[in-house]
Amino acid sequence: MSARIRLELKVNGKSRELDVEPRKILADALREDLGLTGTHLGCEHGVCGACTVLVNGQAVRSCLMLAVQARGAEILTVEGVERDGQLHPVQQAFRESHSFQCGFCTPGFVISTLAFLAETPSPSEEEIREALSGNICRCTGYQSIVAGVRLASQKLAAETGAPVASGA
Amino acid sequence: MLRGRAPREYARRTIEGGPFFSVKPPPFDYHAPSSLQEALELLGQFGTDAKVLAGGQSLVPLLNLRLARPAHLIDINGLESEIGQVRTNNGGLAIGAMTRQRTAEKSSVISERYPLLAEALPLIGHIQIRNRGTIGGSLAHADPASELPAVALVLDADLVVRSKSRGERVIKADSFFVSFLTTALEPDELLVEVRLPGWPSGAGWSYQEISRRHGDFAMVGVACLVRLNAGGAIAEARLAYTGAAPSPVRSREAEQFLAGQQPSTDAFAEAAEHAAKVLDPASDVHASAAYRLHVAKVLTRRALQVAVSRATGGAA
Amino acid sequence: MRTIGTSIQRVEDERVLTGRGRYVDDVVVPGMLHAAFVRSPHPHARITGIDSTKAAAMPGVVAVLTGADMQRICNPMTIQMLQGYKSPAFFGLATDTVRFVGDPVAVVVAESRYLAEDACDAIEVGYASLTPVATIEHALDPSRPAIFADVGTNTLFEQSHTYGDVDAVFASAERVFTEKFRQHRYANVPMETRGCVANYDPSTRELVYTVATQSPHGVRFALSGILGIPADRTRVVSGDVGGAFGLKGFVYREDVAISAASKHLGRPVKWIEDRNEHLMASAHAREEDLELTVAARNDGTLLGLKAKLVMNQGSYPLLPFPSALFTSIMRVMLPGPYKLQAYSFDTTVVASNKAPYVAYRAPWEMETFVRERMLDIVAHELQMDPVDIRRKNMVTAAEQPIHMITGPTLERMSARETLDRSLALFDYAAFRDDQRKAREHGELRGLGIATFIEAAPGPRDMSAALGFGLGKERAHVRLETDGHLTVITAQMPHGQGHETTLAQVAADEMGVPFEHVRVVYGDTRYTPFSLIGTGGSRSATMASGAVLYGTRRIKEAVLKIAAGMLEASVDDLQIDEAMISVKGAPQRAVPLAQIAIMSYMAADHLPGGAQPLTEVDHDFDGDEGGWAQATHACWVTVDRDTGQVKIDRYLVVEDCGTMINPAIVEGQVRGGVAQGIGGVLYEHSAYDEEGQFLAGTFMDYLLPTTTEVPTIEIDHLETPPISPVNFRGVGEGGALIAPAALTNAIEDALAPLGVKITEQYLPPARILELTGTI
Repeated sequence: MSARIRLELKVNGKSRELDVEPRKILADALREDLGLTGTHLGCEHGVCGACTVLVNGQAVRSCLMLAVQARGAEILTVEGVERDGQLHPVQQAFRESHSFQCGFCTPGFVISTLAFLAETPSPSEEEIREALSGNICRCTGYQSIVAGVRLASQKLAAETGAPVASGA
Repeated sequence: MLRGRAPREYARRTIEGGPFFSVKPPPFDYHAPSSLQEALELLGQFGTDAKVLAGGQSLVPLLNLRLARPAHLIDINGLESEIGQVRTNNGGLAIGAMTRQRTAEKSSVISERYPLLAEALPLIGHIQIRNRGTIGGSLAHADPASELPAVALVLDADLVVRSKSRGERVIKADSFFVSFLTTALEPDELLVEVRLPGWPSGAGWSYQEISRRHGDFAMVGVACLVRLNAGGAIAEARLAYTGAAPSPVRSREAEQFLAGQQPSTDAFAEAAEHAAKVLDPASDVHASAAYRLHVAKVLTRRALQVAVSRATGGAA
Repeated sequence: MRTIGTSIQRVEDERVLTGRGRYVDDVVVPGMLHAAFVRSPHPHARITGIDSTKAAAMPGVVAVLTGADMQRICNPMTIQMLQGYKSPAFFGLATDTVRFVGDPVAVVVAESRYLAEDACDAIEVGYASLTPVATIEHALDPSRPAIFADVGTNTLFEQSHTYGDVDAVFASAERVFTEKFRQHRYANVPMETRGCVANYDPSTRELVYTVATQSPHGVRFALSGILGIPADRTRVVSGDVGGAFGLKGFVYREDVAISAASKHLGRPVKWIEDRNEHLMASAHAREEDLELTVAARNDGTLLGLKAKLVMNQGSYPLLPFPSALFTSIMRVMLPGPYKLQAYSFDTTVVASNKAPYVAYRAPWEMETFVRERMLDIVAHELQMDPVDIRRKNMVTAAEQPIHMITGPTLERMSARETLDRSLALFDYAAFRDDQRKAREHGELRGLGIATFIEAAPGPRDMSAALGFGLGKERAHVRLETDGHLTVITAQMPHGQGHETTLAQVAADEMGVPFEHVRVVYGDTRYTPFSLIGTGGSRSATMASGAVLYGTRRIKEAVLKIAAGMLEASVDDLQIDEAMISVKGAPQRAVPLAQIAIMSYMAADHLPGGAQPLTEVDHDFDGDEGGWAQATHACWVTVDRDTGQVKIDRYLVVEDCGTMINPAIVEGQVRGGVAQGIGGVLYEHSAYDEEGQFLAGTFMDYLLPTTTEVPTIEIDHLETPPISPVNFRGVGEGGALIAPAALTNAIEDALAPLGVKITEQYLPPARILELTGTI
């Protein structure tokens, strides 16, 4: 069928090139062709959120995109979240809050949280739970994840000096 | 977003035998047109063997599971600037088919002027789904448990489709949804725009659904719009259902019954009985047909209650 | 600084947070091939033929193997670990018969998973359908075929036990109540599916099997025997595991098929299970029926129980222990913390055309479910408050030590304290008032309370009562040349944080900073043998005890050397922050690092002729062991029009002894409760009456999300220890009790409608059926 397609895209701030069959899923291209195995596959039919990456700043299920659709896009995976070798406030907050156990769902939650807090910097508990309802965790029962997101919002606010919602 | 019906197809496939467990798409020829004209050319050429890829939230799962095996995939994401805009249109609204659901969700013109649509949009899956999923894609896919077709029916939307050979065709919503996962689109046609007539002045609205979890397909959903006359009686009511039949459906009988009625719990209950007659829900792992029928009536009563209270002049 | 009792940040976290975890799908081996399975779409059928010629010729396809190849390459798989269990013999792929929807029939090995799936499409398998055995009723029906011809029956295991004079007690009882409880099939569903990389090197004749597992040695033991590869040339490696909850503690036919493929080809082969396969064809759990008869007095005193259990093990048993083994735990634990005079327990385990039955977080959970449900039902019949009937019959502290009627000693068992504490945390009378008022408005609110005890690891006489033991736990502790510690454990963490908790134990015992301890696990080349690996709520006690005492032995040797150097007696010395000093005279000190290097380099010249000890293996038998216990309280509101259940509040009062890391304890409890909620309201591994599977995607098998799991409040009690190792297991408690607490609450809410609940799966449609609304 279709010949391989060559495309350029940006991943974690670096220009990368892919040479893939059109049917290759973006998640597989990131993991296999670019060696970025932090993005995990939990279902491959768009429900669990483990594969979440940012595409042009938006949280997207990378199992539901073809790699060829990412031509010219800017992608952020969990490997690109650190700042100069230091944990990003979201990552640090998750660590302090014990927001994960086996860690398989964690990259997806980190990315979804980054996108969510960028849009809603001062969320209520209800808003946090609603926004993260598209990411499934089997280990934690979610409470420590919610606490981690709340702590992350406080850490980010402290950086910018912005006011935060009281931990409702 | 893939919800509800694919598993039934999937179960059917397993009985027929054939590739059972799959998460990687089968091979296909890939096309990425950069203009509507190019897309229509391709559809004209490959239509019957092609699938259109818009947001991908419904199609890509089908590809991964190999429940869809198109020889050609026509990726129309390059058409976002051409057919992905929201604009006013003769007192109404024209929503480009490639408008992302999340864009529509955050659109102030939609939340100000079409609150029924604004109420339904956040119920579609989750944020990550809505970031990619499109208004047109959801309508063209016509999952019988999805929100937008019911809203389109209640708002008397016009679906604007184009083909290379026949040009533009406008299909009324109540002719668009034909049957299970089937619309009136011809293989060479592309849905390009959804036109909403102006919002009926003073109308109250409610979108309600029951789902197993937040963001799941509706076991049953109701889209409702009500106008009251000066005397407080119902001038017009519109009720459309999702999840309760092979395709979304309006209940004209319930609507006719309600016209002229004073709003009351009894009237709502009787309307619900009328509505039930047009419904033909399925049984599946999530709920029995009896449950869906029962809940359709419950939601009818609740939706009418809320819609009446929101109609201008009604108490909040 | 002591770290036990602090929620110290986990060692594991940084690599996970930055995407640098090493899960099995992240493993890449040069020359690696990829596998995909062809699986049966029929629940029960004879294979009439397999044609793979087209597939074998497709681009990138290296091999297609079938059952015939398995028979050639492997010994048969069979269970020999349970006396009285009729085990079939079978292979990694179906040979002549398929026995459940998803039964693997062929495996394709190709250059990519995409190409392997293309080839699977091209394989043609002929089937002749056989009568399905789809339910427990079918399995017990002699007119239905035996799904394993070599066994000849679908009843694979039967056992009866009696304690006390059952007939006399029941004959003289004032009241006798019988209920039949049905628990549905649901599953572990970790976020990471199964997966492996089998790498057989023909030049060394060694198999290195990388797998997401809870028990590397269990896998090694099984594969060695089945593939005929000597144990010394079988190595199993596991890195990061994305959750398991019991599912990855067993050896599956796919493990054998992929290893056989690698051996046959002499090349590495990777297989990553996809989610559909996982939901359909890995394994399920919990499918049991239990008829419970209670003898009681009118005043609510429990006298006796008669239990008849039927477990549906599905088709192929999993190695190395069959699910029938868990029925022994159910038998011993059903009485719980309650006093009884007589008790009988009959077990039947049947086979059927369903996926295999696997242990799922507290695989004996049925006993807690039926007991706590029955207490509420009996209380209702006797018009007693459900709390009062528990208080009346629960063993108190003053009554201990006391034997359970099934044998194990109850000592320092604090079930009653957890019940009392939970009731002290809210106003029970006020809730009943609110409930009454709500009922007047037609609102259905309910409260469910349930209590469990768990042998985590249990007292010394637990093994005798069960009829089997899980053995001692070994840890290897090594003092390195720089005074750091390496701890090699048989545990295989998959979310529980052992890399952290065991380091906390060793660090606190030795007196070194937490960062000076490295915990090593997951490679059978280095780790001590354990058949079970991580499971059964053992690690907190067993592994911690082995680490604690092993570290102590090294510490004693270190102190003797230091005593000689500092001219002090051993009792006057302390170690803190890796510095050994005389108590009260901190200037008289020597770094641990110095003692360490001397132990290695100057072993013959240590002061006072002291002997160095730098490495130990320590076996720990659990000592007096102990009980974990908790009471859970759950408040719900049921929408009478839609049947939807909302959990308004959830409270846990738990006692697992000293908490090594409170955040980890709470995470385990909340995760378990979430799974219990999932099992009751959302999750069902459903089959139809013909054995066709209905829940193969995440659209059908629903996991609870952030919006379905409530805030879970946790209060802790810490019963003082009997023995120095006071950490009790906590991994399974939440999942063990949550279904009972939640169903008790739902029945309480529906009480005005006369609903009695004897089943566990309660989606909205079912609630409306129970209330007679539909």
